[in-house]
Amino acid sequence: MPVPAWLIRPGTVPYDVANAAMHRLAELRLDDEIPDTVILLEHPPVFTAGRRAKVDELLWSPEEVEARGGLVRMIDRGGSFTYHGPGQVVGYPILGLGSRPDAVDYLRRLEEAVIRICADVGVASERRADVQTGVWVGDDKICAIGVRLMRARVTLHGFALNCETDLSWFRGIVACGLPEHGPTSLSDQLGRRVSVADVLPLAERHLSEVFDLSFQPAPGEFVSPFQVADAV
Amino acid sequence: MTSIQMPQLGETIVEGTILKWLKREGDSVDRDEPLFEISTDKVDTEVPSPVAGTVRKILVDEGTTVPVGTALMEIDEPGAAAPDAASGGAASSPASGAAPTTEPASETSGGAASSEGSSAAPPAAAPVAPAAASAPAAEAVATVPDRGPRSQILSPLVRRLAKEHDLDLAQIPGTGSGGRITKADVMAVISSGEARATAGAAAPTIAPAQPMPAPSAGIGDEVVPVSHIRRAIAEHMLASTQGTARAWTMVEVNVDHLVKLRERVKDAFQERYGIKITYLPMVVRATVDALLEYPDVNARLDGENIVRHRFVNMGIAVSYDAGLIVPVVKGADGMNTIGVARSIADLAARARAHQLQPDEVQGATFTITNPGPYGSVASVPIINQPNVGILSFDAIVKRPVVIDDAIAIRSMVNISMSWDHRVIDGELATRFLARVKQNLESWDFAEDLGA
Repeated sequence: MPVPAWLIRPGTVPYDVANAAMHRLAELRLDDEIPDTVILLEHPPVFTAGRRAKVDELLWSPEEVEARGGLVRMIDRGGSFTYHGPGQVVGYPILGLGSRPDAVDYLRRLEEAVIRICADVGVASERRADVQTGVWVGDDKICAIGVRLMRARVTLHGFALNCETDLSWFRGIVACGLPEHGPTSLSDQLGRRVSVADVLPLAERHLSEVFDLSFQPAPGEFVSPFQVADAV
Repeated sequence: MTSIQMPQLGETIVEGTILKWLKREGDSVDRDEPLFEISTDKVDTEVPSPVAGTVRKILVDEGTTVPVGTALMEIDEPGAAAPDAASGGAASSPASGAAPTTEPASETSGGAASSEGSSAAPPAAAPVAPAAASAPAAEAVATVPDRGPRSQILSPLVRRLAKEHDLDLAQIPGTGSGGRITKADVMAVISSGEARATAGAAAPTIAPAQPMPAPSAGIGDEVVPVSHIRRAIAEHMLASTQGTARAWTMVEVNVDHLVKLRERVKDAFQERYGIKITYLPMVVRATVDALLEYPDVNARLDGENIVRHRFVNMGIAVSYDAGLIVPVVKGADGMNTIGVARSIADLAARARAHQLQPDEVQGATFTITNPGPYGSVASVPIINQPNVGILSFDAIVKRPVVIDDAIAIRSMVNISMSWDHRVIDGELATRFLARVKQNLESWDFAEDLGA
């Protein structure tokens, strides 16, 4: 039987706001104050760097990134540089992995959900165990995955699936530390527009199936931290 | 002494890199406190301590990659009494204190912990105790699903029962689906009379090393954890005080005719529209007009630009049980006083019922706070960024005022504004407030209220 879980779809959220709110939810999940929760959103342009990122993998100067309207953030997930921006579905599952945290199994399930989403819109994608975690179309990455476990048992961060992402942003970084692999998107693959709005319902369905969750909307008080100006 | 090893976070993971030690030799640690961070392929994780104690020795340098199972750290437990006492109650397993020595957070030790599943049960610490001793736990292991979250989801009833009876949920074996703790499980413990003993024994392990407020809280103090909404408010307020150049201006407004008007129409209004008429919608209307007249107050600072909004979305500060929230009357410039009154009544009611939609607390171009009902006569609010001003409407009180060189008694109110001096100057702020004052003193709201 599916486990009751919450779904939060706050729209476009600045990275710092979402990151802080996500960490707070993870702390609540850690304390069993809330059920498993999945956040699906978009970010304004931002490069994020995991702990394994190397400084020279950011190819644009910070001034250049800023001039283009982007941000650079060093964060606490696994993996190296990636890009988030409009046209990309970002998913942050905040799941309790229980007392037998199998991080590899979790990553494989995330990939599975994304592969099913891609298949639904007509893009055949796959894992590339020989290269890296993530979801690939041939040699190009369509979905980056980077995860952190809080106290080794609650998941943080997640996946970023390119729907109609402006891929030129990826020229600003060595994405995922792999210079020989490029980015792609669903729209890029199909030659027609696949929007975030098209993909969100698919993401909801496949995450629900793969992780055996039954989604309900989260109560407003857990959504409001994702809003920018929410208090006086 | 407990040895902490590189945990196995998945069958195919054979090694991990120590990213960062979070504790140094000699530091004291709590159970479940993060000891270090490791990195494997795409996953970083904190590794929590299975026991409370003192770090005796760190065996591996940061940045080193080692195979799963490698000893990384040694922790001395204070006399082994504390952890034993903690788990001794319900599980009554003397082995529990020493158990994690073998494989903290490993695949093999995990299952039983799911069966215990609780907020307090650190996966690395709890597992071996019930597996070694308790029959119900062993049963539960068989039904534990691949992933354990359902064992960690507790019903509100279970949570409440446990709290009322001071039960440590970590000590209660779950017999429900997927190792979930059911009401029956909790009732069994309560009726067995072990509740108090467990709670009493558990307390000492938490108290000594708690780094949070515990030490400063004396007898008669109540320690309440900061809620996430409280924290959100705190961060928002602090960011505003640190990020704006706040100044404050106040005007006195004679609202005698508004008080009389309200007295006259309030019953009919309530009957006709189903809501109480207050002064707030009138203040909103008067303020909207002033914002349209002085658009620099209805603006935000965006880098090198000042963005003037050509519409008014009025944020209304509403207090409710969880703290403070600012629902937004969207398109307030297109509403009459009745429309504003309806909108505020609806938003406030749903705010207090926790039913606001996300977009209903977004996009305010200006904000009004209304502490008057509680009796305050002047307030200095903090600006609700990215707004550049917030207007405070305080209590209406009868005061002696000088009118045409005679002293008269009038209903007066102080209306003030905190404003961001980066965008607004004093002259503009004062002109703006004067306009609000003039509107309130001269407008005839009777028609607008359908009276």
